[in-house]
Amino acid sequence: MTNKFSRRDFLKLGGAGLVTAAGATAVLTQANASTEGGAKKHFIQPHQQMDHGGDGLPGVGEVDIKKNGFDPTEILYDFDYGKVSTLPSGQTLREYEIVVINKNIEVVPGIEFPAWTYNGRIPGPTLRATEGDRIRITMKNGSNHPHSMHFHGFHPAEMDGVPGTGPGGMVEPGQEFVYEFDAEPFGLHLYHCHVFPLARHIAKGLYGTLIIDPKEGRPPVDQEMVMVMHGIDIDFDDVNDFYAVNGIPFYYQNHPIQIKVGEKIRIYLVNILEFDFVNSFHLHATFFNYYPTGTSLTPSEFTDTIIQGQAQRGILEFTYKFPGMYMFHAHVTEFAELGWNGMFEVLP
Amino acid sequence: MTEPTSSEIKNRFTLRTFILLLIPIILLVGVISLFLQTGGGLNLESPAPLETLTIERYQLERGLIKLNVQNTGPTTLTVASVIISDAVMPFEVSPSAEIARLGKAVIKVDYAWTTGEAYNVRVFTSNAIPFDLAIPVAFVTPQPEAKTFWSFTLIGLYVGVIPIFLGIFWLPALRTLGKKWMTFLMAITTGLLIYLGLDTLNEALEQAANLPATYQGIGLIGIGAVATYLLLEMIDNPDSTNRSEAALRLSIAWRIALGIGIHNLGEGLAIGAAYNVGEIALGTFLVVGFIIQNITEGLGIIAPIVRDRPTFGQLALLGLVGGAPAIFGAWIGGYTPSPFLSVLFLAIGTGAIFQVAVEIWKMIQRDNKREPMPAPIFSGVLTGMLLLWVTGIFIK
Repeated sequence: MTNKFSRRDFLKLGGAGLVTAAGATAVLTQANASTEGGAKKHFIQPHQQMDHGGDGLPGVGEVDIKKNGFDPTEILYDFDYGKVSTLPSGQTLREYEIVVINKNIEVVPGIEFPAWTYNGRIPGPTLRATEGDRIRITMKNGSNHPHSMHFHGFHPAEMDGVPGTGPGGMVEPGQEFVYEFDAEPFGLHLYHCHVFPLARHIAKGLYGTLIIDPKEGRPPVDQEMVMVMHGIDIDFDDVNDFYAVNGIPFYYQNHPIQIKVGEKIRIYLVNILEFDFVNSFHLHATFFNYYPTGTSLTPSEFTDTIIQGQAQRGILEFTYKFPGMYMFHAHVTEFAELGWNGMFEVLP
Repeated sequence: MTEPTSSEIKNRFTLRTFILLLIPIILLVGVISLFLQTGGGLNLESPAPLETLTIERYQLERGLIKLNVQNTGPTTLTVASVIISDAVMPFEVSPSAEIARLGKAVIKVDYAWTTGEAYNVRVFTSNAIPFDLAIPVAFVTPQPEAKTFWSFTLIGLYVGVIPIFLGIFWLPALRTLGKKWMTFLMAITTGLLIYLGLDTLNEALEQAANLPATYQGIGLIGIGAVATYLLLEMIDNPDSTNRSEAALRLSIAWRIALGIGIHNLGEGLAIGAAYNVGEIALGTFLVVGFIIQNITEGLGIIAPIVRDRPTFGQLALLGLVGGAPAIFGAWIGGYTPSPFLSVLFLAIGTGAIFQVAVEIWKMIQRDNKREPMPAPIFSGVLTGMLLLWVTGIFIK
């Protein structure tokens, strides 16, 4: 649309223009304006005439949750404690099974993202254990690409899930590998695929949360939730087209999260955004205590906005004083309008 | 049965000829159906969906962005998402978000745009193929109403009609010139026309680049230009009529006017369309540039008939034929810009201009058969081209 014009490229030289003039005298007036006022005149003038109008708000309609096979609202509260047993040593053993599969996920109405997933969902399951537990994860690769699971935390090199560290570094299609390590340190961690090309393997959906509770536990709250912030590069140009929390852009805008006045809320917030440098979380109308990486029981900050770089995470605790609808979103507002926007519905 | 002689084969179109002609076509149908059924041993499945959505134009109303789109890809596609300057916006598509091949649709987005600002529009199909559009300067798209109608008319007047009439006013002065100068003047006209023809062709090529591949813009230019050229040759072949030299010269003037008129129509189209997308701001300086450059077009029109006695009415009509199309062009370009029509008009203009250029060239040669004047011809053609090149500096 930029190239309508060739021989008569007399564009962009300013002046509100002959064209708007209703007659020859007006032409002369405009001409004077253009020589004196310069190019800016054209852009300043019209503001008085009109602005706004159009009540369209960013957003999308509904995606097919059933066909996707997961509901972001359920993901919020879905903590997987594994199959629990006790080892002869007395140590608690938690066993998990994770299958990597390719899956098309409708991320915005009408557009399916050919995702790579842990257990068919984005993000993968939220694994939860207590400090000192034995974690045993059997990862089966049901996709047609090699994949791995790389956990943030303490573990031996061969459990690092990185190519070159043994069979767990690159699990071929149809193969499986058992990752086993002790849950430490306590805090909020994550896991993701570490096969190269790394950015693509992560951006396609291979990531999830690992929560390690302190032995003595955290102070009780009324509701706990997991939120994984990520992007969706739908056309594979290494630029995110949509942003989301827990898989589906605008999901919590369309489906507000219900809480109550006075309830203590704890959010486990993880950023696994690829291609952009930072992500953020901003909560309206209240403040939260922030525990970076969840490795301390003492908050580092009392605020309403935090910034997270890639793979940074932290725990938020807050309470609402007043009922009503409150937004939470990336205060990188561009992300908000591209999907990373949600609502809390605070009930009396 | 004896073999027919070659002359018999040439002269008769019998049933046998018909059947013989048909055989390759029947075979072709067979080959195609075989290929469609078996794939001919080739794997022609595309790994990715091939979709092309052409955003033909946009229209801005208060709080509303309208996109006129056409599916110019090989398959049906579905519009799935619209992102305006990094915000996913709800939208409506009429008649349907599913657009058949070569089907058209209008996408409407409620959006609180601000006058004078720039916006980027991205449309995603359901196969996640993005198509982008830039709105360089947002302002309410002019709708056909008295005021804008008059504005576009004014543009056409300034760009086309007025300069050409100014050029025609040279006629009395040119009458006083001697033969050598007349040859020089004709050579100037040839130069002007060559330059204008090249310019029109260039513009046609640039517009063709904007056309969806389906329309085969370059081929369209070829068809438009060649057809016009040959058509003008055919209807106005001096050998086939017994007209006087004066009538021939007048006819050439008419054709120059027509060629320049179509050229100016193309210019009007471009100006109207550019005004519509806010790319244009006509300053006085530029209008002056226009008048200076296009005055030479008027000169070109009257050059062949300087030695004759055209009536006032003829001159007025010649000027209108040369200049008024700029007004029509501005209307069409302003209200319903169509890249397809632009290319076609520009191609026709190219053919018409080159045809008269050749015609005048022949005329010069006829007139100077007895005493060749290479110097005035050479310097004239070059002067004509340089005139447009130098005055072009004002409006580039």
